[in-house]
Amino acid sequence: MKLTDKLIKAVDKKLERFDPLWQSEHGVGGLRSRYYDKTGVAKYREWRGVKDTFYDYSQWLKNLMSMGMMVGSAPMACLKGFWEYRWMGSYLGTFMFIDRLFEGYRGYELRIAHMNMHAIVQSLTKKIALVLANDRRFGGGPLTDRMVPMDEVLPPLFMAGFKDLIPIPLQTLPEFIICDIDQHIEPYYIDVAESYGLPADVCSRCAAETGVTIDDAFPIFGKGFLSTNMPCNASEATSMFQRRRVNLPYQPVTMAMIHNEPGAHPYSTQELKNAIAFIEKEYGVKYDWNALFERAKHMNEQNTIELEKWDYFKTPYSALVGIAETLYRLYSWASVNGQEDYFTKTDRKVIALMRKAYEEKYRPFAGKTRHRAFLWGPSAVYYTDFPTWIQNCWGINIVLNMDSTMGHNMISTTDPEQAIKDLALFSEKGVMRHHAVGGWDNVNAVWEWAKNFNCDMVLCNDNVACKGMNGVHALLEEQARDLGFHFIFIEHDLEDSRTVSRQDMRKCVNNYMSVVLNEQPLDPTIVEFDDSAAY
Amino acid sequence: MKKVMKFVLKLLGKLAVVGLVTFLVTFTIYMTNAENKIIYYVVRPLLNKHYDSQVRDRRI
Repeated sequence: MKLTDKLIKAVDKKLERFDPLWQSEHGVGGLRSRYYDKTGVAKYREWRGVKDTFYDYSQWLKNLMSMGMMVGSAPMACLKGFWEYRWMGSYLGTFMFIDRLFEGYRGYELRIAHMNMHAIVQSLTKKIALVLANDRRFGGGPLTDRMVPMDEVLPPLFMAGFKDLIPIPLQTLPEFIICDIDQHIEPYYIDVAESYGLPADVCSRCAAETGVTIDDAFPIFGKGFLSTNMPCNASEATSMFQRRRVNLPYQPVTMAMIHNEPGAHPYSTQELKNAIAFIEKEYGVKYDWNALFERAKHMNEQNTIELEKWDYFKTPYSALVGIAETLYRLYSWASVNGQEDYFTKTDRKVIALMRKAYEEKYRPFAGKTRHRAFLWGPSAVYYTDFPTWIQNCWGINIVLNMDSTMGHNMISTTDPEQAIKDLALFSEKGVMRHHAVGGWDNVNAVWEWAKNFNCDMVLCNDNVACKGMNGVHALLEEQARDLGFHFIFIEHDLEDSRTVSRQDMRKCVNNYMSVVLNEQPLDPTIVEFDDSAAY
Repeated sequence: MKKVMKFVLKLLGKLAVVGLVTFLVTFTIYMTNAENKIIYYVVRPLLNKHYDSQVRDRRI
């Protein structure tokens, strides 16, 4: 053993009593012990041993530098953004968010989690600076007319054929990502929408987006807006409000809703062609298939790597786990969608580490996992840092979440006609269309997914305001019994933590684990706690 | 040559001191969670006060 290793081992031994995992094992504390009550503010950062603490510190510095670069690249625009938009203030909670997500992570799983997270941070910070520097509310910028606002549930890969244009998913920065970081931001926008007259029983995401619209909190840029038939009743209202308020020429890209039938694909293909024609007309540019093929190659490589990751997920030796897997895939698929090289490079590095960890038969979380679960859950799993909590508290490893099941078909990189068909299929398997209201088959597929990934447990999030999923509860309960899965339905109100709190969500799991399975928690300090005032 | 060596060593020494001080400051902020405490207890309350005082035209 090298001298440095000996030294590190000695220091680790000396300081082990500060490690929350050691504390919970020895009954003298745990992961919640270092927090001030309710706030989610930690008295000090998690001690993970010398190597992992310094690795975490180095990644904190890296993320800090990305944020510094964001402000440095557009200082006045960022200042105006913080002053004008309430959601910008919520981004200050990013460091607390990252700390929460990776609690209890050590070794390979910590390294991979930070690689994925930094990819998101560096991408988001660049996007925020770009959008604010070209926001017409602040006077616009040199790229204002080259940017294309589009609905965030429409995968932007097909836009890569416009090599001089920059597609920006409109709702991602002011609404979608930020709801994961700060549980208190969306209730404000929901109240704005409801005070305007929107009923209170619609999906809280749609209500929040409507609130952002009415509050004039969407940055304004571009010369034409691509909206879509977002697959919810309330979302359609959101699209209408957004279209009126954004006040740009628009093209609704109404992809097939029930899309598992072959007849749906030609229709969706034509919708994409219509969208391309609209952009050509409004922006005066020509579609370049070779430019699309270049980015499609990246998306294909990312999907090829993703499919290899799935093979590791099926084993107990996957170092990519829980929220590090699902949040990354959600962002890299739905928002980046093959358009940023950094994500291809990150995927290459991550898969290399996963291979190494597998060869070493490395078990994440020191092998404390008791159950393997397939999760069917949206945003509410992110702001609650649910996969992290459920592993740390009950030893339930979220092997795969529904967000990772989105379009993974390959796109032709030689034939335009085949490419647009592939893109239609790919886009039909997008957010929510594939998950909740794209047909019963997609929801019922949870059992196949769970079986294929060797899971003994299925966790299904029950959005109390989702009309698309109403009535599914009893059907899934029955099937779980028939098929022999442990099954937990977790109620939530998506982005409104006032209706169903984080603790209420955790309680659904606590009840099942303690009453039905009669198991003891790994860390008793996180079974029941109040984090209602936390971001 | 001696002068150049002296200059290089001096420069390296200064860089090492700057690096050490930077490390000590940032690692202290990191371990004490200082930036999050300042954001949570000082910055956000001030920003929220400002956001709450904004008058916004919500007519469609």
